[in-house]
Amino acid sequence: MFLTRSEYDRGVNTFSPEGRLFQVEYAMEAIKLGSTTVGITTPEGTVLAVEKRVPSPLLESSSIEKIMEIDAHIGCAMSGLTADARTMVDHARVTSQMHAFTYDESIGVESCTQAVCDLALRFGESVEDDDALMSRPFGVALLIAGIDEKGPQLYHTDPSGTFVRYDAKAIGSGSDAAQQSLQDAFHKQMTLVEAHTLALKVLKQVMEEKLDENNVQLAQVTREHGFEILGETELKQVIEGIPA
Amino acid sequence: MAMHAERSAALHELTSAPIQHAFNPYEDNGGTILAIAGKDFSVIAGDTRQSQGYSIQTRYARKVWQLTDRAVLATNGFAADGNNFVKKVKQRLEWYEHAHHKQMPLKSIARMIQTILYGKRFFPYYVYNILGGIEEDGTGAVYSYDPVGTYERESCRAAGAAQSILQPFLDNQIYFKNQTPEPGAEPFIPGNLPLSTVLALVVDSFTSATERHIEVGDGLEVYVVMKKGRPTDDLVGEGKLAPGMAVEELDALGEGDGEKTFLVTRSLKRD
Amino acid sequence: MNQHPAMWGHPMTPHQAFNAHTAFPLATPNPMRNQHASSPVSHTQQPLVTGTSVLGLKYKDGVMLAADNLASYGSLARFRDIQRLHPLGNHTCLAVSGDMSDYQYLKKELDGLLREEEALSLSDSHPALHPSQIYAFLANLFYARRSKVNPIWNAILVGGWDATKEESFLGYVDLLGTTYSSPTLATGFGSHIAQPLLREAFEKKAGIDGKGELLTAEEAEALLNECMKVLFYRDARSLNKYQIATVTKEGVQISESKSAETQWGFAEALRGYGAQQQ
Repeated sequence: MFLTRSEYDRGVNTFSPEGRLFQVEYAMEAIKLGSTTVGITTPEGTVLAVEKRVPSPLLESSSIEKIMEIDAHIGCAMSGLTADARTMVDHARVTSQMHAFTYDESIGVESCTQAVCDLALRFGESVEDDDALMSRPFGVALLIAGIDEKGPQLYHTDPSGTFVRYDAKAIGSGSDAAQQSLQDAFHKQMTLVEAHTLALKVLKQVMEEKLDENNVQLAQVTREHGFEILGETELKQVIEGIPA
Repeated sequence: MAMHAERSAALHELTSAPIQHAFNPYEDNGGTILAIAGKDFSVIAGDTRQSQGYSIQTRYARKVWQLTDRAVLATNGFAADGNNFVKKVKQRLEWYEHAHHKQMPLKSIARMIQTILYGKRFFPYYVYNILGGIEEDGTGAVYSYDPVGTYERESCRAAGAAQSILQPFLDNQIYFKNQTPEPGAEPFIPGNLPLSTVLALVVDSFTSATERHIEVGDGLEVYVVMKKGRPTDDLVGEGKLAPGMAVEELDALGEGDGEKTFLVTRSLKRD
Repeated sequence: MNQHPAMWGHPMTPHQAFNAHTAFPLATPNPMRNQHASSPVSHTQQPLVTGTSVLGLKYKDGVMLAADNLASYGSLARFRDIQRLHPLGNHTCLAVSGDMSDYQYLKKELDGLLREEEALSLSDSHPALHPSQIYAFLANLFYARRSKVNPIWNAILVGGWDATKEESFLGYVDLLGTTYSSPTLATGFGSHIAQPLLREAFEKKAGIDGKGELLTAEEAEALLNECMKVLFYRDARSLNKYQIATVTKEGVQISESKSAETQWGFAEALRGYGAQQQ
């Protein structure tokens, strides 16, 4: 993969002569090992879907948490080292509540995403009396879905601290194929129900196991109800609606 | 002899007691401010005199500040605190605009002001603030504060030296307190007065306060913020204002969403 | 407490039979004096060596400032040749009343700042500080220090000529960080005694809006001379030896010390003042 691999991939704050930060690039690789995660924006709201890998029948699948609420109007789905995402989601939650406290309004989706990304590059060798540093980049990517006065939005963040807005985006192990499917099937006037179905259809295509209500999770952010993770009955309904 | 000792002891007490000369970091610079909300406009006014005790420091010091295209802030109390408070608020508004790519909405400014004031709860800004402007739903609004951040949205508020003169007058004229409608007539609804009436009340308020309060006078500045799309012909145009008054439209500070801010000026008595 | 510069160094209770403070600090051993040994931080709790009021006036070509040469130690006329007008750069001048050691600190601080600015202008096209910028700096400094409850115990006037706007500048700032400007200004006792005279003469020519013609240099100087004389008659902490600073587009010019013509002959007839016995 990296032909020029050399000593330059050791330090987290050393550029290679070609101008690359290998540790950040490796962190991005960690995401490609993660389970597939999909997000789709429609005029009614934004949908998030994740695959939950259940390696053992003894595993309690409901304990796998890959979609989290940030605020009443923002949620996120993750792929990669999900433990790293907890730090980011924690920060996003605090930022959102601080904003609501200080400004008596809910935070914008982009501002919230920016707040998360501000964390991403705080790695490196810590200087004296600079205690808040992390030793390595985050090994996780997020799909942040939310709704504000600009309407439903979907953002993708990666370990480099870059964020980009998408109409529909797939990340994780099956992301290449999934993104292609999204590109083929997405259209701007999609309904929320269509988006549910499309999200699971795309996941189904890239999943090794048979998709059921235990190995996927579906969430949405709408103007009416804000962020919500779909319950088992609703999820089953959507699964039934996936064309064979 | 005994008397002498007594007296010298008393004298000694007088001369050797530590000098109580603690520095007082506050001062009252007089003046008065007032704001009234209409259905689709808001009026925020203040006089321009700044005084210390019986001395007039200057006949023109600003107390009312345009913050955004839909918010105007009036400050009253300790002038140095007031100026520095406004400076801080303006800085926060700029930071917000950089971070969120929009002008801060009125209710957000209102909340932010409370957090800034309360942040100095134990060394307060000795400032009484009144914030006026247009909400996101297009209604005229007035928020009033105490120095440590207690705040409330109201239809009208007076603060400062002549608060005790003006607030009862406004309660009567704006909230219709102690008035009864004619039998069979519609009940009074506060916050629906036309701009011309409100402006006349503001001018009467300040001319009266000038007569009866020594710290009020010299000049009057009235900011009028109008909802986007609202006709301006009741303020701008030949003969719309009483003699001696002037009006100018202020430039938009942001993108210019359509809200308009006008500055109406008038002189007050200088004695 | 009365923070008025005219009352600086005075006690809180005006009804004392014996007012030790009229002669302060000579009459009273200062309890603060020996505190340096025990307390780690010392703040200016009260002014010691003080300058009395200063005056400022806008006129046709710029600004004039006036200050006498006295630095008092309580009621003692201690230093009689102190210059209280201080030029800053080419187009700004300070007139300082209040604590003289704080004034010396200010001079050092500002001269340092201006020297840095000048050094920058040697290698780059770096514009000189405008009077309004120096004034803003002082206002921030005074407010910051009062907010640390460690005030710089002065009331000062900043007079200047803004070469860019081609207009004069006159502003006031004091120990509380209070700021204001006006075409005529005075600190301390002068705000009671001289300011009404200055305003009257200014408005007589320029009108109450100040839009008419301003006083000429001669008229302005005569007015300041008159005000300094009245102050000398009535202000017990003043001296009939003063200087006038003139700030125009030409620059800052500070006069030699001068005195007003005074008449004390009438005093001989006053009971309790002259030679006659009761």
